[in-house]
Amino acid sequence: MTTVTERLARGKSAGRRRWVPTPKFLISGAVAVVIGYLAIVPLYYLLWGTFFDDRGFSLDGFSRAYGNSRIGELVTNSLWFAVGAAALSLTIGTALAYLNVRTDVPFKGLFFAASIIPLIIPGILYTVAWILLASPDIGLLNSLIEPVLGPGFFNVFTVWGMIWVEGLHLSPIVFLLMVAAFRSMDPSLEESALMSGASRWQVFRRVTVPLVRPAIVASILIMVVRSLESFEVPALLGLQNGIYVFTSRIYFVLRTYPPDLAAAGALAVGLLVFAMIGVALSNLVGKSGKSFQTITGKGFRPRPMELGKWRPVMGGMVILYFFFTVLAPLAVLLYTSMLGFYRAPSVEAFQSMNFDNYRELAGMNKAVTALKNSLILGVGTATLVMGIMAIAAWMVVRSKIPGRQIIDQLAFVPLVIPGLVLGLALSFVYLRSPIPIYGTLFILLIAYCTRYLPYGMRYAVTSMHQISSELEESAQVSGASWWQTFRRVLLPLLSPGLVAGWIYILVVSFRELSSSILLYSPGNEVLSILIFEQFENGQFTVLSALGVVMVLTLVILVAIAYKLGAKVGLRED
Amino acid sequence: MTDCKNRVGRRTGVPALRLKGTGLLLGTALLLAGCGGSPTASNTDAKSTSNAPTAAEKFFTKTNKTPDDARRDALVKQAEAEGQLDLYTSMTSDVADAVTKAFSDAFKVDVNVYRASSETVLQRILQEQKARFQGNDVVESNATEMFALQTEGYLAAYSGTRRDEVSEAGHFDRWTATRYNLFAPSWNTKKVKKGEEPKSWEDLADPKWDGQLSMEVADSDWYLTLYKYWEKQGKSKDEINKLFADMAKGAKIVKGHTVQGELMSAGQFAVTASNYSYLVERLKATGAPVAYEPFVEPVIARPNGLGLMKTAKHPAAAMLFADWLLSEDGQKILTDLGLTPSIAGANDPLAGVDVIPVDVKELLNNGKVWSDRYDKVVSGGEVVDQ
Repeated sequence: MTTVTERLARGKSAGRRRWVPTPKFLISGAVAVVIGYLAIVPLYYLLWGTFFDDRGFSLDGFSRAYGNSRIGELVTNSLWFAVGAAALSLTIGTALAYLNVRTDVPFKGLFFAASIIPLIIPGILYTVAWILLASPDIGLLNSLIEPVLGPGFFNVFTVWGMIWVEGLHLSPIVFLLMVAAFRSMDPSLEESALMSGASRWQVFRRVTVPLVRPAIVASILIMVVRSLESFEVPALLGLQNGIYVFTSRIYFVLRTYPPDLAAAGALAVGLLVFAMIGVALSNLVGKSGKSFQTITGKGFRPRPMELGKWRPVMGGMVILYFFFTVLAPLAVLLYTSMLGFYRAPSVEAFQSMNFDNYRELAGMNKAVTALKNSLILGVGTATLVMGIMAIAAWMVVRSKIPGRQIIDQLAFVPLVIPGLVLGLALSFVYLRSPIPIYGTLFILLIAYCTRYLPYGMRYAVTSMHQISSELEESAQVSGASWWQTFRRVLLPLLSPGLVAGWIYILVVSFRELSSSILLYSPGNEVLSILIFEQFENGQFTVLSALGVVMVLTLVILVAIAYKLGAKVGLRED
Repeated sequence: MTDCKNRVGRRTGVPALRLKGTGLLLGTALLLAGCGGSPTASNTDAKSTSNAPTAAEKFFTKTNKTPDDARRDALVKQAEAEGQLDLYTSMTSDVADAVTKAFSDAFKVDVNVYRASSETVLQRILQEQKARFQGNDVVESNATEMFALQTEGYLAAYSGTRRDEVSEAGHFDRWTATRYNLFAPSWNTKKVKKGEEPKSWEDLADPKWDGQLSMEVADSDWYLTLYKYWEKQGKSKDEINKLFADMAKGAKIVKGHTVQGELMSAGQFAVTASNYSYLVERLKATGAPVAYEPFVEPVIARPNGLGLMKTAKHPAAAMLFADWLLSEDGQKILTDLGLTPSIAGANDPLAGVDVIPVDVKELLNNGKVWSDRYDKVVSGGEVVDQ
């Protein structure tokens, strides 16, 4: 061991004497600059708008944002909703990921669809689909079970309904994160526990869950912040019965003229503090070090566990989940997309079905451009963000660079910045930039990269936590350069996480609207803008058709990504 | 092993990186600060610099005085020489598409359309104008946003025969109404029998609609106008507050008129207090069981208007577009799409219907007060005190 250390030290110090910037230094530096730049521009704009007005420093925004007589009720509703949705998505996402990766559960093919389709369906359509399914007045599910359980059994217009819809809509994010975590886990630990007489449940609770703790913490963090910010579900489901949540207020204060940036900022700053504590905590959990490093120098092949008599039960659960997250909402979409206007299923309705909405879509000359632009932006954003984040994750988790925690914190900042504020910040900067970026597709690329930075970071860091440093060290000892080690050892090991993040970003960037709508220019339309237009036109049926087309396009794309991902990552037997 | 790792880590250009990090923060801050101080403070310098007329403004002033025939010929010639028109609008996309297509067909001018919600259109123009970026030549949007642009001093004067055709209610300082959005109660014809539909605004407060009526969460412009109308009718504040509270009691609050229309046609509720008539008309055209006629009077109309930008790059095209949209040809396209044009034609669907405009000025000056009050109304039917 001593010789190794000495040799390494000698090699390094020799390099130091004639100091040339190493690729490691250059690449890490560039990554830090990019992340810092992307995060600080909107953050600066947000903070400035929050704390300064015409007369200088002011905290009025805070009193406008939080000084509401019903603030207690708003906060309680919000927390109930956010914690509930986070808990639901975490439970579902983790359980499904475990079943998919680690067991011989049947119907594995369905997971693929279940993991992405809810992400693709725009929030507004997903929520409306649920109203049509589970409204006490017109819900299809309710009319199905009415003979058995009486009218209005399901009521989507309650906090529980909101948690249900949001939780299901978010569960794919957890699923993708946890799949990556379970893929990188050495099953021999579980096997030893089983051998020593532990029950399956004990193994899951005492061995499996602790091993994927970084991924769980990351999921909780993203889920809670996301549900706190969620807009469609509280607006469409909560308002109807007067359930107001705290953060949809951001939308309302930004809607007035002049937009109350200070109040919106004050709300966002509240979220920011919360998120910062979360990131710090997640690093603390990650820090306890080796206990999660399941990819070590020891070779392993993840082998599925046999479920035995539980197999049919679990299979049933998978089918149920698939029905609720994919089949039912998608069926409603498909059904609506073939009607002239929405009506409950009946012989008449089925007789009136046709493909007019799809024909209308095909006749839209903007649709092709928009699809092309969305593809360019989606693939570009996903690739850029995950590429940068692979390196950033190494810096945060593995390197000893001082200030590396700042990178992690900065990368999380965009999650709490409202999309409109991001749009304003970017247009402010690029309208004044000598480089002609304003009015091009580039400004959208920058906006998307900024918005999805936090997700990329969580996906990459979580995977990095699981890789033992032994492997890098052996590579270096064997004479590999840092770049070689990174490319040939770390990147392949990280690939489950990177692919999951890539898929996630690709899919959600198709939906991004709040900053796109301000920043796009004629000729640079994207799909989400088209969706918004159809929505404004009151064309729900055309909108549903567009939703169906989007689901198909992305399913194909993601299928390709999975195939490619499977080639570089860990392989199952 | 850990020891080895640490040592490797410690030897990697640490001071340089740390410097870089600080430099990055400082640099970005300086860069941003250098870009003109507070990025979010409201704009004042545009007003002060707007005193000297721009080239486009001079053009507009001159053309405003040109007699009709000569004006049209000159505008067509110059607009076609300019060849382009940059239009920012909050028309829905089907309307925007039809309008721009007809305009490009009539003249050899390509129209570049930026389309978004009225608030976003306003934000975009404010951002661009503050940065002295010539983004658009002409803007067509909601009254509130047009007022804001006029107040900021970005709009040029527009006059002539076409503007004079618009009724007095559609004349505003520096902008002209092109069309109206009508707020009117609408209902699901399967749930509301013929003869039982609401006949007055007061009817909406009837307890028979509890659990059947839907209100939109942000329609404070409708609320304000109806409130003021009732005041003029001699109702006391208490009476008016009670009417609104009774409406809100048991009401299903929905965000967004589109969703509202869709849910009403699906039967989620029977009556909608303040949806746009053109949205209901469109649902009706697809065969949905919805109606808004006979109109509950007075119909509340919110103008949408058009203004010329002082910074227009294509002033002739901008003015030609304004003249054209307010001509019979332009207005007919709006009528064909079920909208309510600002120049009443021969077969005016609103003939004989009592229409009152939204008090746009009050909305702009005290919009926050009214929206806060409306928030209280819809969040549980509280009676609001003045």
